Amino acid sequence: MKHFLKIFLFGICFLTFTACNNQNQKEQKGATDSISSAENTMIDSTVVNKTDSVSEIKTSSNQTSSSQATAKKMNIAVYYFHGANRCVSCIAIEEVTKKTLNTYYKKELSEGIIDFKTIDIEESKNKAISEKYQVFGSSLFVTKILNGSETKTDLTGDGFKYAKNKEEKFIEILRKTITDYLK
Amino acid sequence: MKKPLIFVLSLLLTGSLFSQTIGDTVISNNAKNLKLTVLYFHITNRCNTCTTIETLVRKTIFENFKTEVDSGIINVSIINCELPENKVISEKYDAYGATLAITFINGAKEKTEDLSNWAFQKVHKEDIFISELKNKITELLK
Repeated sequence: MKHFLKIFLFGICFLTFTACNNQNQKEQKGATDSISSAENTMIDSTVVNKTDSVSEIKTSSNQTSSSQATAKKMNIAVYYFHGANRCVSCIAIEEVTKKTLNTYYKKELSEGIIDFKTIDIEESKNKAISEKYQVFGSSLFVTKILNGSETKTDLTGDGFKYAKNKEEKFIEILRKTITDYLK
Repeated sequence: MKKPLIFVLSLLLTGSLFSQTIGDTVISNNAKNLKLTVLYFHITNRCNTCTTIETLVRKTIFENFKTEVDSGIINVSIINCELPENKVISEKYDAYGATLAITFINGAKEKTEDLSNWAFQKVHKEDIFISELKNKITELLK
């Protein structure tokens, strides 16, 4: 009888210990799950932030990815405007601009960092952009777009001055403008 | 018979003392007075914008600074930079296409300001073009 009582008490103690241990393990497991979950959230969030720059960023670690995403928002618009009647200088400006971009900024063009457009200001569909840039004839603009703000450089004068007879000088000026904006 | 001839000759002589026009270019004959040279370079095949810049430059100068041009204080030069005879002056002013430059002369010193970008920005706003160029020249002549 005494043996039975001892075995019974031992059994109760064992069961209690085991139950407590399981509870600890569960608690630890729960804690581990939370961290994993947090990590998953951070990773997911980072991915979201990298892919979708509009997403809101809350954690400090994500702020780094935020600045990376913000940095990626910067791009450069190279717009060449012209009218219907084009002179040799006007055509030369467009050709040399295209040549410069295709020679020195192929990667940026393919990645969408640089956007080049030739715009006929006499077409009604281009009225809004022509008014925005206040152009009435052949004009070349390089615009840096960063966080919604725009910085424009008007290279029209340099284009007319150099593109036809001093191509290398015009390429140098255009490259300097674009490279400074890319920094 | 002699009087009208003398009168005409006197007029021609008086005119040539102050300034003379060779083709497109107005050249001062009085180097002592010369303070400012306005140079507009262009290529042989000109577009409407390029021609308009020249028109506005001429309008600004001859409507506001005729006295200075006549007395040799201001020179106006319209130069085709593609002609071989203009190669030296075109290179001096770094002009290989439509280029507007103003050179201020103080004794042996010359200071040139390139207004090409400005000109192409303002050419389609005649009033602003003339007003700003006039102010610029007035400022330099002070």
